[in-house]
Amino acid sequence: MKTTRTILLAALLSATALSTAYAADTIKIGVDTPLSGTYAGIGQQVKWGLELATKEVNAKGGIMGRQIELIYEDSEANPAVAVQKAEKLFEVSKVDFLTGTVNSGATLAVGQVAERAKKLLATTVSFADSITGEKCSPNVFRVNAKAGQQSTALAAWLAKEKPKAKVFFLGPDYLMGRSTVSAFKEAAEKVGAKSLGEVYAPLGSKDYSQYFGQIRAAQPQVLYTSVAGNDTVRLFTQMQEFGLLKNLTLLGASGTVTSQNIAAIGKAAEGFATGVGYSTEIDNPVNKAFVAAFKAANKADPDLYGTDSYGLIYAYKAAVEKAKSTDTDKVRTALRGLTWSTPQGEKTIRAGDHQAMQTMYVVQVTNGQFKIISKVSGEDAIGPDTCTRF
Amino acid sequence: MSEAVQYFQFVLAPQMLIGLVLGVAVILVALGLTIIFGLLDVINMSHGEFYALGAFFALALAQIGLPFWLLLLLVPLLMLPVGYIVERALIQRVFHSGDRHVRTLLLTFGLGLVMEDSYRLVFGPNPYRPETPITGGVEIFDIFLPSYRLFLIIVGAAIIAAVAFIVYRTRLGAMVRAAAFDRDMAASLGVPVQHVYAGAFAFGVALAGLAGVLLAPIYSVFPTMGRDFILMAFTVVIVGGMGSIAGVVVAGLLLSQIQAIVALYISPVWSDPVVFGIMVVMLMVRPQGLFGRLGHG
Repeated sequence: MKTTRTILLAALLSATALSTAYAADTIKIGVDTPLSGTYAGIGQQVKWGLELATKEVNAKGGIMGRQIELIYEDSEANPAVAVQKAEKLFEVSKVDFLTGTVNSGATLAVGQVAERAKKLLATTVSFADSITGEKCSPNVFRVNAKAGQQSTALAAWLAKEKPKAKVFFLGPDYLMGRSTVSAFKEAAEKVGAKSLGEVYAPLGSKDYSQYFGQIRAAQPQVLYTSVAGNDTVRLFTQMQEFGLLKNLTLLGASGTVTSQNIAAIGKAAEGFATGVGYSTEIDNPVNKAFVAAFKAANKADPDLYGTDSYGLIYAYKAAVEKAKSTDTDKVRTALRGLTWSTPQGEKTIRAGDHQAMQTMYVVQVTNGQFKIISKVSGEDAIGPDTCTRF
Repeated sequence: MSEAVQYFQFVLAPQMLIGLVLGVAVILVALGLTIIFGLLDVINMSHGEFYALGAFFALALAQIGLPFWLLLLLVPLLMLPVGYIVERALIQRVFHSGDRHVRTLLLTFGLGLVMEDSYRLVFGPNPYRPETPITGGVEIFDIFLPSYRLFLIIVGAAIIAAVAFIVYRTRLGAMVRAAAFDRDMAASLGVPVQHVYAGAFAFGVALAGLAGVLLAPIYSVFPTMGRDFILMAFTVVIVGGMGSIAGVVVAGLLLSQIQAIVALYISPVWSDPVVFGIMVVMLMVRPQGLFGRLGHG
């Protein structure tokens, strides 16, 4: 067994060495992403998005005449594994640039590896505000929208639709649940909404009816929730059962209602609205071409992860061409303030905290499908720069 | 005074009513568990997965167009042969060994894992939800209750009464109790003990399946749903007295009421620890539970 493993490892290493020798003049981008485990579905979208953009760029002559080569490592959505794989990509595979981290903890940890290796990392998935906030790093960029941009967009829409709305909050009782509720609460109160109360139910609760008395007594116009997966199915359908959905607007986090649970929720999901950075419906020629090419290549619709990963390759291309080099310091300078075109429209990387600004969308479930009902400009959604490290 | 009445009417009573629904649901799952334990002396760790099997049977049959009301009858009937075969083919193999408890526990635990993964393979990881067969609601003393939940309380009570009647008032029940009390004596008096054992297991499993059909519209259907009620059901069986039907009913109602009322005053996250704490105290003070075992007067 041990011998087999050693031989396999040797074979793997020699294969890597071989490809390095063969492709000496390519630009190597490391992809440290979960290809197995809970987040394998996200890793799959990341891979599809990166590969489609790479194929397009390479077909048109690459970046400054050099072809892009993607080198994958499976991070298993585990920050410890992601760190090891990042070190391997920098030290053994000698990648010029790193991306693919999904879990916010992994992005923060791998960011420190990138600082030590004096290379750049860009995440296309992680939501946690701290990555481009108090834990920002000069070597880390984020091209996707952070959690704060989603809640700001949703709150702006709410303020317009129902000024001074009375809002009740229900979240799952753990870090993500509490942080999403407090982020939306802050954003909504800032634009005039009134908070009536909040309740945190254990993750995976069977029956939410025990909280309905509290909700009924508070008489909210809006319920914001950040439950996800099957918890959403139970919460929404039980609310429907108890007649609580009448005259109530349901809002939630972007993971609350997804393609995985929308069918099971059925009619109870009608009218649910959330803030997102991407929808296949976005009406511009870049997006239409992108969706068609993505579907043709992968037999699946792109989601926000696939789209943001696709956009990253073009950001890196633009930055390298502007810097006329793949040198870390020169590319960093070029990325700061960079504006480039993506399926979501033009994005600009804010120099102060390395966070991409983009138009945010509010989508609502109409006849079982998400439809775009509102847009919020990048400047309005991004919020203040809280990064103090550079 | 009127404040206390209002508090009762608008806060306490609705909460207790909701607790009653949950109590009936837990009792339905725990009934089969306690019968299997009381008679066979087997702790069925896969009971939650049989509960899920009932729900998945209902899901599959509903897809070919059968109405919900027929499924209430059909699914338990389908569960009977499944339970019978599992008992004869698997449990009997390790039943007569020295450490019966450990072996049957491991066997049923493993069976539960296999079943759960099979659901994932066949139906995928995503949740499903059958439409609630009765929509709308009723007001009882100004307290709103969805009609389907009222239906659940009534049907649940009827099932509990029927089970108690079969076990305590029929010839079949007498045979079951006799086999539980003294296997060898019952056998020598002509009770077909092997069939009684397999039959009782099948009956317990069919009850779990019936609970699966009844609860699917409220709690939805997904591969790991078996874990939902099983801890609470085990607690109810332990507190009520392992193998006692009356014990399951009393403990089920008591614990679900405690859980519902406790949730009003402390964070709902603590309602499970409170219930398990009661179980631990019960095991320390009165390990036989509130009531005695099946067939042991």
